[in-house]
Amino acid sequence: MEAEKKKLIPKSALIKAALNWENWVQTCYNYERMMGQSVVMTFLPVVKHLYPDNKEKQIDVLTRESEFFNVHTEFGSCILGMAISLEEDKAQGADIPNEFITNLKTSLMGPLAGVGDTIYQGVLIPILLALCIDITRAGNGNIWGAILYAVLMIAISYGLSIGNFMFGYNAGGDAIMDFLEKGILNKLLSAASIMGCMVMGGLIVNYVGIKCGLVINASGTMFNLQESLFDAVLPNILPLGATLGIYGLMSYKKWTSIRIILLIVIVSVIGGFFGILA
Amino acid sequence: MSIVQALLCGIVYWIAEADIPFVSLWVLQRPLVCGLITGIILGDPVQGAVIGASINLVYLGFISAGGSMPADMALAGILGTAYAITGGLDAQTALAIAVPLGLLGTIVWYLRMTFDSIFVHMMDRQIAAGEFSKIPWTVCVLPELMAGVFCVIPATLAAYFGASYIQPFIEMCQGTPMQIFSVIGGLMPALGIAITLQYIFKGEARLFLFLGFMVATCTHMTLIEQGIVGLLVALLYTQITDKIKAAPAVSAAGAGGAGYDPDYDPDED
Repeated sequence: MEAEKKKLIPKSALIKAALNWENWVQTCYNYERMMGQSVVMTFLPVVKHLYPDNKEKQIDVLTRESEFFNVHTEFGSCILGMAISLEEDKAQGADIPNEFITNLKTSLMGPLAGVGDTIYQGVLIPILLALCIDITRAGNGNIWGAILYAVLMIAISYGLSIGNFMFGYNAGGDAIMDFLEKGILNKLLSAASIMGCMVMGGLIVNYVGIKCGLVINASGTMFNLQESLFDAVLPNILPLGATLGIYGLMSYKKWTSIRIILLIVIVSVIGGFFGILA
Repeated sequence: MSIVQALLCGIVYWIAEADIPFVSLWVLQRPLVCGLITGIILGDPVQGAVIGASINLVYLGFISAGGSMPADMALAGILGTAYAITGGLDAQTALAIAVPLGLLGTIVWYLRMTFDSIFVHMMDRQIAAGEFSKIPWTVCVLPELMAGVFCVIPATLAAYFGASYIQPFIEMCQGTPMQIFSVIGGLMPALGIAITLQYIFKGEARLFLFLGFMVATCTHMTLIEQGIVGLLVALLYTQITDKIKAAPAVSAAGAGGAGYDPDYDPDED
């Protein structure tokens, strides 16, 4: 029965819609509607299949889809798939109020943006970048890390966005809710956090370069603080301390990154001038 | 740097910033990638990728959510790499110069976000008039052209004039100032890591930061090897915690019978 119902939109138009979303989502990003106009772009290829001979109805659909919308591109594409599927049901006479579609879109927007931004920009990209930066800087340097990152990122983004779009179209809003509540994403997130923490630990050692340059003249013998104290107790303790210190300021004192940058510059100027830091 | 090379740098900045299909924000905006492209433009791809990679350390976990942009990493990546190659700077100095440029660049993002509203109103009128075929021009092509004006002009000028002043500037800074640049460049990656930690340094995962730190301090593993070890550790940890959660009755009874289950039958499983 389900399969019989969904016949209005050909597969090619759906894929075109999904690509329109992924391709043009941020080209006109603005404070007023955020991604509202991108939703219109997504609906453009399908709207003529929904109401083939009724321009008035087509205008109605696009007008209500042009409202404020903002989500994480790849994780949120299932909302677009779902909205198209609902509009399709509606076009076939199902009793779906306009507000229902809008409300469902708005209610899914928040959770998916939160999950998407955290997993994508907070976990996936940093881990992938860290590994590819390390490949690039290995030995005398090479270009393969940068190329690997670009290829992987394009593949992941397009694969996830289009797959997720089709999931939303085929499974509908309830399935998206179910998936969010099942906690699969949270489990993935906690496993990825463990891996991410391991990589970040290694990154601190390899790429945060800070040493104490102080040499104390203790009754004729030179006492190099870095070599005789820090390196003897635990090498890299200064980079670890600096990173955790910045983390603490941002996390507990709510410092912005701009303030941290200023702090780093001030500390470096003072430390570098007097030779405390090297 | 020739004016053509500077113009190409400006165009790369535009493509990175304006979310043109396929390269978009996740890819070309990252200094690792736009550094490589800048390197190709200036005839030294490897050096470009290496400098870009170093600058990217600062922007590891930078999140742009809800239309905010904490720093313009594309401008930092492109100009930092361009100055480093033309001025013969090392990675740390390039990083120290690139980060302030990244802060300046956010102006371009906010300009775009503000002026893009114009096109949305044009689109509204076109929808109402039923002129659907014009919509892609209004919300894709025109905003991109506007972004081109905002991006290409300042970035081209900054690349061209910056590159010609970078060598005298660096010569002027020999001695203590250069030492300070290198301290700044050494410390900045800590910011990138700290921002990433905001998202992953939580709960039980915290311990693994120190494990990763010790592994890297005491062994000579590459980061890739350490990443694979991290992945295995994460899987192992998830498997073990799943097993413990799957047998709640046993652990509850063992913890003093607080969750004692009267129907508990040891032979049941």
